[in-house]
Amino acid sequence: MEFTALFLAVTIVMLVAWFGRRSLALALFAVVLLASVATYLHHATDTLKLSF
Amino acid sequence: MTRGFAITLNALSLYAVALVLAAAFAAQLVLQELPCPLCLLQRIQFAVLAIGPILNVRFGPRPSHYALSLLAAVAGAAFSTRQVLLHIMPGDAGYGTALFGYHYYTWALIGFAAAIVLLAAILLFDRQFERGITAEQAAPGAFATSAVWLVIGLTALNVVSTLLECGFGACADNPVVYELLKR
Repeated sequence: MEFTALFLAVTIVMLVAWFGRRSLALALFAVVLLASVATYLHHATDTLKLSF
Repeated sequence: MTRGFAITLNALSLYAVALVLAAAFAAQLVLQELPCPLCLLQRIQFAVLAIGPILNVRFGPRPSHYALSLLAAVAGAAFSTRQVLLHIMPGDAGYGTALFGYHYYTWALIGFAAAIVLLAAILLFDRQFERGITAEQAAPGAFATSAVWLVIGLTALNVVSTLLECGFGACADNPVVYELLKR
């Protein structure tokens, strides 16, 4: 569900970047980037099976 | 590099992102391989990468717009590196089908690294940032406008595809069926 929300959020930021105010697009970009990094950190709990 | 040429290059970069998103869709539909959560996150970062060029086409080239794309590319490279490391053990078959010898996450890492280098290269040309006619006065042409709508359309299609795949719960680590299409 969080990935669907992220894709939806990116679509909204793109539409704001194309139609809306630049400052709003920049602010929404920051929110989406932070949300995607937070999602990555939330999922990155597997042990890395390194070969050395 | 003139302002107009920079905008054309930004439109080309949007077509490149559209190609990546379309290729990922093609693999998903033709090979019946559903993207894993990390794969989806990398797709999302390719879409986020497109926001900078959209702003450049709409408002004219600015260093801050390229900075947005650099941040997205660095995050995407980190996500794809993580997945490369998850499958680095000898004997690990990797996730999904390999394309030209590399898995999609390896191609994604190459793509994000290439984006970082290209963004740094285009930032070397200062003339594109000179203020003359404003971007608002000079409406983007059909080539750039089509690129913007192609990327927005493909990202919106990913909203539908991901909803079908994951449903309203958490996405499966190794998805094999579309949750909302299960009977």
